[in-house]
Amino acid sequence: MASEMEVPAELSSMFERHLRYRDLSLLLPFILGFTSNNTTEQRDPDQEAPQTTGSNERIILINPFTQGMVVIEGAASLESLLRDMGNKNGQPPASKASIEAMPKVEIGEDNKDGECAVCLEEWELGGAVKEMPCKHRFHGGCVEKWLKIHGNCPVCRYKMPVDEEELGKNIDEGEGEGERRVEREIWVSFAFNGSRRNGDSNENPSSDSSTED
Amino acid sequence: MIDFARVQKELQECSRDVEASGIKVAPKSDNLGRLTGTIPGPVGTPYEGGTFQIDITLPDGYPFEPPKMQFATKVWHPNISSQSGAICLDILKDQWSPALTLKTALLSVQALLSTPEPGDPQDAVVAQQYLRDYQTFVGTARYWTETFAKTSSLGVEEKVQKLVEMGFPEALARSALESVGGDENLALEKLCSG
Ligand SMILES: [Zn+2]
Ligand SMILES: [Zn+2]
Repeated sequence: MASEMEVPAELSSMFERHLRYRDLSLLLPFILGFTSNNTTEQRDPDQEAPQTTGSNERIILINPFTQGMVVIEGAASLESLLRDMGNKNGQPPASKASIEAMPKVEIGEDNKDGECAVCLEEWELGGAVKEMPCKHRFHGGCVEKWLKIHGNCPVCRYKMPVDEEELGKNIDEGEGEGERRVEREIWVSFAFNGSRRNGDSNENPSSDSSTED
Repeated sequence: MIDFARVQKELQECSRDVEASGIKVAPKSDNLGRLTGTIPGPVGTPYEGGTFQIDITLPDGYPFEPPKMQFATKVWHPNISSQSGAICLDILKDQWSPALTLKTALLSVQALLSTPEPGDPQDAVVAQQYLRDYQTFVGTARYWTETFAKTSSLGVEEKVQKLVEMGFPEALARSALESVGGDENLALEKLCSG
């Protein structure tokens, strides 16, 4: 059934990048197929997907270990999906506003002890550093570079506000993320030997793919 | 792009308390991007007495990206690939923080040796053995420590040879050694009692 679908080349390289994350590689050992547009009529549509999005894309993932298959409907793109999953544990970037809102603190005689935990340089008298809401201090350049990758304090992992706009609607804060994924996923049990049987199309929140460590 | 000034600081800091921590980090060459870490096997574990080497590669984005670490010494552990030495540890992946250092990362790897998490395995075979037959797991892990992580002790082949000379069949001697983690006295005991 995979023959009719082709995986675009740029997807596989993107996929490899994400394979560094072991949990993801276990979760998605293969992209079996990636289809876009007018896919709705091809497969048995009896899944009760609560929302069918307009630009429908379907990503089919197959896991040879569990012999399970995941069909993801309505993902905006594979990239956003993978980013979404990659963010499952890693903290998304901090919002621009929250980065800009960090106060500047002057290093004087009274607070000159200590160092920047990012570059390990000691504070310089007369220099200015940025203070996060958790009160941990870093060089502005050092901490801003980090917060644009992961929006948490390097020392205590205090979570900075996330930029909703940039993340799009795929990621809500906290548990909403998991709920959304369940909405988009249809877990299909799959027998390798023999023809495909349409498995249970219930959205199973406990399917491998939506659990976290 | 790697922050080499920081790496230099890390190396200095690490060598300062190598006595206390037992953790060593040394560059493989002049290039600070590739290093070798050394950790002692934690006391009270099947890895005790072993010295484990870890290949470290620093990505361009270090310290904003985690260092790549991989066991160069073969080790039998649910969260470490028995084939490749790949390590399953969250701080080396999405839980990395630039406030961590090579030393603290190696300390975490050492802690992982003490507290396997078979529920989140890197090596499914090892994890299964850990869960289903813990005693055999301990035996195998100890045997691997003995075989691969100890340079000074007698080699396994020599131990097998010794037991063969005592009159035990080679296959039996080998399996007895393996089941007790390479301790020749325990193996002898086992062979005599069995
Ligand atoms: Zn700094
Ligand atoms: Zn903090």
